[in-house]
Amino acid sequence: MARYIIRRLLQSIPLLFIISFVLFALMQATGDPLATMGGRQPTRAADRERLSRQLGLDQPITTQYLYWLIGNDWVVIDPETGRTGPRRGVLRGDFGTSYVSRQPVLEMIGGRIPDTLLLTGTAEVLILAVSLAVGIFSAVRKYSLFDQLFTAISFVLYSVPVFIMAYSLIYLLSIGLRRAGLPYFPTSGIFDPAIGRTFEQVVWHMVLPVLTLSLISIAGYSRYIRSTMLEVINSDYIRTARSKGITERRTLFVHAFKNAALPLITLVGLDLPFLLGGAVVTETIFAWPGMGYLFINSLTRSDYPVLMGILMLIAVGVVLAQLLVDVLYTVLDPRIRYS
Amino acid sequence: MRFFRTVLMMLALVAVLAAPAQAQGKSATVSWPQEPDTLSPLYTSMTFGGYTYQLYLAGAWAFDNALSPIPVLVSEMPNLDNGGINADGTVFTLMLKEGLTWSDGDALDSADFLFTYDMIMADGNAVGSRSPYDRMVSVEAPDATTVVITFSEPYAPWLSLFSTVLPEHVLRPIYDADGSLDTSDFNRNPTVSSGPYVFETWEVGSFMRFQANPSYVLGQPIIDTLVVTFVPDEVAYVAGLLNGDSDLGTFVAFSDVPALEEAGLKVEVIPSGYNEGWYLNTSAERAHPAMTDVRVRQAVAMSFDRDAFNTDLNYGATFTPHSFWENTPYANPNLSPYAFDQTAAGALLDEAGWVDSNSDGTRDKDGVELVLRFATNTRGIRVDLQAIAQQQLAAVGIGTELVNYPSDQFFAGYAEGGPVSTGDYDIAELSTAPAAFPDPDTSRFLCSEIPSDENPVGNNSTYYCDPELDALLIEQSVTTDFEARIALFHDIDAKLLDAAIWIGIWHDADVWITGTNLVNAKLNGVNPFWDVQNWDVAG
Repeated sequence: MARYIIRRLLQSIPLLFIISFVLFALMQATGDPLATMGGRQPTRAADRERLSRQLGLDQPITTQYLYWLIGNDWVVIDPETGRTGPRRGVLRGDFGTSYVSRQPVLEMIGGRIPDTLLLTGTAEVLILAVSLAVGIFSAVRKYSLFDQLFTAISFVLYSVPVFIMAYSLIYLLSIGLRRAGLPYFPTSGIFDPAIGRTFEQVVWHMVLPVLTLSLISIAGYSRYIRSTMLEVINSDYIRTARSKGITERRTLFVHAFKNAALPLITLVGLDLPFLLGGAVVTETIFAWPGMGYLFINSLTRSDYPVLMGILMLIAVGVVLAQLLVDVLYTVLDPRIRYS
Repeated sequence: MRFFRTVLMMLALVAVLAAPAQAQGKSATVSWPQEPDTLSPLYTSMTFGGYTYQLYLAGAWAFDNALSPIPVLVSEMPNLDNGGINADGTVFTLMLKEGLTWSDGDALDSADFLFTYDMIMADGNAVGSRSPYDRMVSVEAPDATTVVITFSEPYAPWLSLFSTVLPEHVLRPIYDADGSLDTSDFNRNPTVSSGPYVFETWEVGSFMRFQANPSYVLGQPIIDTLVVTFVPDEVAYVAGLLNGDSDLGTFVAFSDVPALEEAGLKVEVIPSGYNEGWYLNTSAERAHPAMTDVRVRQAVAMSFDRDAFNTDLNYGATFTPHSFWENTPYANPNLSPYAFDQTAAGALLDEAGWVDSNSDGTRDKDGVELVLRFATNTRGIRVDLQAIAQQQLAAVGIGTELVNYPSDQFFAGYAEGGPVSTGDYDIAELSTAPAAFPDPDTSRFLCSEIPSDENPVGNNSTYYCDPELDALLIEQSVTTDFEARIALFHDIDAKLLDAAIWIGIWHDADVWITGTNLVNAKLNGVNPFWDVQNWDVAG
């Protein structure tokens, strides 16, 4: 197993290099970072020329990629003074600085990760907990009133776009409750500045964005779990377990669910890296200061260094998450062994 | 059932615990739809960055709600009588007030002005724009309260100078050590203030908080704490205003105005210098051949019902401008926009020789169909306008090819192949303002600004060249006398209207919303916080 893990990690290195180059090339299609640097006025031509030189955007794309990867502190960028470049490159832990805010990229991303994981992690836990409960119950009580009711609700919720869900919750649980004179849920931010970042404040501000993220996914995941459970609970070995006198609870949760969970592990594994990437639409609507919000702001400004930082983080996350899923499979299914 | 009851009880408990505490002192909340990129005037390229740094950095002067300049750091506005402006308008002398200080007690004097100029021009600083400082010959500080600025030629838009001043005593050591202020912590965490408020904290992605500056030159603000929150989503933004979560907001859509007014909020439409308009391309090489004929351009202006559009889709919250300088003294008051008159438009096209000879519904001449390329970005209201305009122009026999670009492509420069810059359009719709508003100066219609391979930096994307118009535009840029300059602009306005190269679509003022909790807030589109020290909260 250790050799398998090491081999997978070594294989991922060239893969990440290829991903980084492809992403860097694709960045050029996101737009011109200098176009909006004039503010509400188009950037003056003289300023554009100067900024292009100062930010290194006048270099060929292959040179820009090289400097991004290994830095430019070995290159003399001002022949008159002999001054070398300031960057050390990604391979030495320097992801550069934002074209927009001039902040170090790692500092910007690092500051957003905790709040992103708080939101998406909480939503993922809620999704799994409720989906499992609903999916298993629906499978066990197939075609009951609960099953049929929740099937209908699932189809409706699954069809709703995220932004519609968000706006509906805002109108119902914020504006609507306030008009009724009741406590209402806040629509933006992570806490009230007047009170500060307390546990209660964060929970209160999380309600609407977590519901937005969760409701649609619960609808989808619960259907999936219902389907996999139904496949398993009608199997011969489950019938054997019941006939041996094992309790229904143990039969379902130890024998049936363990096998039904295997495909679910794959789904969750695919979700894991995107927990880091944040929920772009939800974070923007609720002004949740996470990675998704940062990503969309950086995309609109063509802030290449920040975009590359976020995308490479997700790429590394995907590689590691897939490895984790493969390892988990061996734990859950003894039939699977990697050489 | 027990599970859901437990969850509801927990939420209720959190609701009680999360209830706002009584704030210490008076507090108000301002909401921006965008988070500023930085708090440094050197690097911000955002409107909201520009608004926010005014809270902690004062300038030589500000503009009141009539956009008249008022002294802030200077003792009086420079003019010919007090020697602040020399006879030929090339030298400006700023006399600073005595005893100015930063919030840490350090003196604020002419050395800070000199330092500001040095930092804008320093090659180690990748500042967003050097305009107009790159036109100065020198900036000198003969004594602690005098700043002398010299230009090589008369500079009329001088009111745009020194809108902020940087603290030399804080930033000089940083610049000397790092060779640049680009990554200075001061850009996001300013430690001193000369403005009405002192920066306290920036919770990235959420809010900034400022505390009243007791040493502000125009007096300590009445409101002790000002919080600036960021809410990028339009629906959530309006919900926050309706809920009273914020006391001041702006940049809401005209379509939201009725709901906000119904909720009892104060809605003000405040000029910011911007007017939405159609730029009509007159280039013989790049535009449709019909566009070189002023009769065709005038017919285009008369074929689209702009008043009805503003009533229906802009909810009557704005109007059709006739002038590029609408709502300023520089707009000629004796002019009116082209009236919606499709009959007269058709007559003009007939006169110009554009008739529907092949009965296909579109006019033609010499075998060329009158189909115009109408370009804009992907903003919703513009896309809607294009659809309506296409129908109305078609009714007169003018065909249109509608093209939409992402903003960064639409506004890209000549070298990047931007459609506006390269003249790859016949009608281009965008919102523009004089670069140094409230100063009216613009280079957009100068012959020397026509872009080309030899002059890719040109700004005149209508490709229109009129020597008489050119002479007027050049003369105004070196005329420092206010009344004389107004007269020149009235002539310029008349020529532009006759030439029909810029057609006003709607006066693109900013909508500002003031909540019921905030009182005495006087605003303008340049310095919204010009009078913030006198704002107060109800109760």
